[in-house]
Amino acid sequence: MRGEQTVSRALGWLAAIGLAGGLVMAFAVAPREITQGNVQRIMYLHVPTVLVAYLAFAVVLVASIAYLWRRDPAADRLAHASAEVGVLFTGLTICAGAIWGKPTWGTWWTWDARLTSVAILFVMYLGYLLLRGMIEERERAARYAAVLGIVAALDIPLVHFSVYWWRTLHQPPSLLKPGPATMSQGILAALLVNIVAFALLYVYFVAKRTAVLRREEEALA
Amino acid sequence: MTADHWGFVLAAYGIAAVALGAYWRHLCRREQELTEQRSHIPPGAGHPGPKPASRSPLQ
Repeated sequence: MRGEQTVSRALGWLAAIGLAGGLVMAFAVAPREITQGNVQRIMYLHVPTVLVAYLAFAVVLVASIAYLWRRDPAADRLAHASAEVGVLFTGLTICAGAIWGKPTWGTWWTWDARLTSVAILFVMYLGYLLLRGMIEERERAARYAAVLGIVAALDIPLVHFSVYWWRTLHQPPSLLKPGPATMSQGILAALLVNIVAFALLYVYFVAKRTAVLRREEEALA
Repeated sequence: MTADHWGFVLAAYGIAAVALGAYWRHLCRREQELTEQRSHIPPGAGHPGPKPASRSPLQ
């Protein structure tokens, strides 16, 4: 228990230092973008949150498969925690994207393929959390949620490749694409630091949430 | 020269800070509640014996 708390505290500090470093990189080190101006600095929040949301939902997929295979409650707790944090990060992605869209596209929202597929992703995992909350029997809730966690993951490639498959207002990805990154070294470095920082925050939140879920189950037993 | 729209930048980062901070606080509070709950349970209370109603009259 004490060892778990020490690891959690260390992860928390690492995430806090990472986020502080990310802010310094985003506002003091990264250059002002020529065409968009300083509003482009929203990218250092928008891109890391969506990449971490992809990671979170990929963890839900793997943990859900593991649960259905082994019926291990630890896998179910990991899927639950990761889905919750993933929903939080997806919500932040949508919010930051809308705020960035207004000055650059002239609109907060448009039913474009990328934005719509992200909204569907958000709603599906919100539904995943609601489903868990609605079923009282623990084992049945875990089983149904695992199936939904696997099905919902099919939307992740749809979100990522939507900018190639359909005509969209959203720009194609600058990272996670074939070939070198199409951005200056300063912008790339700031983006990578923020991705690492948000990934650390994700690990910290998931570790904390998983521990809380385990203790809630112990209290109910 | 492009307009900078600092208000939009601050809004995006501000909302993120509030949301992440609120979630962190929620987790810490829940952790605290569970710790307090655990400290109020007397030792050995985790395994309750048979309920009085379920006992046979001979007991």
